[in-house]
Amino acid sequence: MRAFVILRLALRSVGRNARRSVLTAAAMVLGLALLIFSRSLADGGHEQWIDSAVTLGAGHVAIQAPGYLESASLDHRLDAASVDRAVAAVRATLGAELAAVAPRLAVEGLASAPASALPVRIEGVDPELEVAFSNMPSRLTEGRYLAPDDRLSAFVGVELARRLDLEVGSRFVLTAQSSAGDIQGQLVRVTGLFRTGIPEVDEGLVHIPIETARTWLGTPGEATTVALLLSSSRFSDAAVARLRSATAEDAGLRVLGWQETSPELHDAIVIDDVGDYIFHGILFAIVALAILNSIMMSVLGRRREFGILQAMGLTRAQTGWVVFGEGLFLTFASGLVGVVVGMLFTWGFFRNGLDFSAFMENDMAFSGAIIDPVIVPEFHVRQIVLSLYSILLIGTLASIYPALRASRFDVAEAMKFDQ
Amino acid sequence: MSRAPNGSAAVRTEDVWKVYPQEPEPVRAVQGLSLQIERGDFVAMAGPSGSGKTTVLNLIGGLTRPSEGRIWVGDVELTSMKNKELARLRLERIGFVFQAYNLLPVLTALENAEFTLLLRGVPRDERVRRVRSLFAEIGLEGLEDRMPGKLSGGQQQRVAVARAVVGEPALVLADEPTANLDSVTSAALLDTMERLNREHGTTFLFSTHDPSVMARARRLIHLVDGRISSDERRDAVGRGP
Repeated sequence: MRAFVILRLALRSVGRNARRSVLTAAAMVLGLALLIFSRSLADGGHEQWIDSAVTLGAGHVAIQAPGYLESASLDHRLDAASVDRAVAAVRATLGAELAAVAPRLAVEGLASAPASALPVRIEGVDPELEVAFSNMPSRLTEGRYLAPDDRLSAFVGVELARRLDLEVGSRFVLTAQSSAGDIQGQLVRVTGLFRTGIPEVDEGLVHIPIETARTWLGTPGEATTVALLLSSSRFSDAAVARLRSATAEDAGLRVLGWQETSPELHDAIVIDDVGDYIFHGILFAIVALAILNSIMMSVLGRRREFGILQAMGLTRAQTGWVVFGEGLFLTFASGLVGVVVGMLFTWGFFRNGLDFSAFMENDMAFSGAIIDPVIVPEFHVRQIVLSLYSILLIGTLASIYPALRASRFDVAEAMKFDQ
Repeated sequence: MSRAPNGSAAVRTEDVWKVYPQEPEPVRAVQGLSLQIERGDFVAMAGPSGSGKTTVLNLIGGLTRPSEGRIWVGDVELTSMKNKELARLRLERIGFVFQAYNLLPVLTALENAEFTLLLRGVPRDERVRRVRSLFAEIGLEGLEDRMPGKLSGGQQQRVAVARAVVGEPALVLADEPTANLDSVTSAALLDTMERLNREHGTTFLFSTHDPSVMARARRLIHLVDGRISSDERRDAVGRGP
């Protein structure tokens, strides 16, 4: 019965002090809405970075032979049976979250033309699978991407072409160490040029058909990486865990997440997140002070009311619970409204992305990722729940002190207070 | 909790002092007050401002603690009670009427009046029946759903009286209950309290400056500087000026 009375008094007080309640709630709603907007923008941006990096690199998940990550050498490659086991494990373990799986045979080598010679990373790819996997074909500036029937074709970056004085149709020689340890050369013809905006990629990456690479390097049916593309990076950790479990008995396979194959990108995201959390901490502190101030002013202005409650038979603790109940109600109601407002605002105004191109003079890239100037916000349930928890925690904590104050008023003094 | 030396008293105080530490001199609001009020009495406590009337009511109501001395309400001693026990005592045995009405602004007239019954866990039907019956007696019929801000001063004070007596407490402490009322409203309110005293045997202790309250009291105590300067038992109760 007492709990019911306390709750009723709390709700009535919220309703009676409508202006104060609305102001307090507005601080929380605004704080939470801003938090959701900021978090969804950060998550959207990070997803774009990851997407950009994994489609140019080793995918969200990579299955390699032990030692390849450290050596990047053909000595640590997957043999044909391992490639088959890896692909079979992927197909058996992952479901709808798997967007594409593609074996790749990569080697460091030299691209030589009459004009010059430059060190390059040569990636043997399956042209058909690569279209589904990476965005390289979409970076085409001239010519065409590799086709399934191509044998001696190469897809090269515009910077490499410029420095080697190549154009579509030009021939040049790729040189690398074969699986047997010999230096082997392979003549290829440029079928197309690409531009990613990442200098090291545009100047140092060559795609050739994987069968050509296998024949050239003496690695039939083999690969250095079986790369997996998922529908979202959110599934990466779970996919890695499940694949590791599925291949635990197979000493020839090593399952890696994008965080391990692209550690610089992972670190960049962590640093960016830390910056965000500092901003969110400041935001929370401001919101907490606003709530605390509002509730505290209300408590100080209602001393006589609390005195009456105690004179009528409520205990000090129960008087405090009335104030705490007001704070809790406002916090929970504002939390729910804040989530809706935050999502509607973000979705309503920025569902097609927020364009930062005015602040970016040229293409920006780092850690193998291209920064798209248009960031499309993404709602992650986990982040929204975390944001909601955070604001609820802040509101609850900010209600404690006013509640304690209300419970500690001297009744006789409180009754003298002129409302 | 010890028993009162005299079980028939509604209130008994024994050498009660209330001293507020203050610079340069501590304020002695109540100085050695020894008093006994019998059950069913109708007592007025008069005196100039600062004479300690409100402090005495607060001490007897357990709203503040004495610096020294002992206080009994009925057969229980307040002095050694914990805050929680004092809250229960106020809820079950004491009704308060304050000068400034002091209704809870977030509750309607009926909800204010039934508040102590609600805290005691009295079922809703019983609460409403008792409050409506009391409202009918004191002329508040039809005002049950009004918020305090929509009631006149006299109406608010009658709601406050209803709140104080609806739980049939043994003791009602009324601090200048007529101070903010006109003479007609004051008279009506005193009529109500006299009737409740007569019919329910409720003990009333007023602090007052109002001659009409003093005129109706069966016992009139004068306080000066926190001490009893006179204590007059009057058998005939007048109607006041």
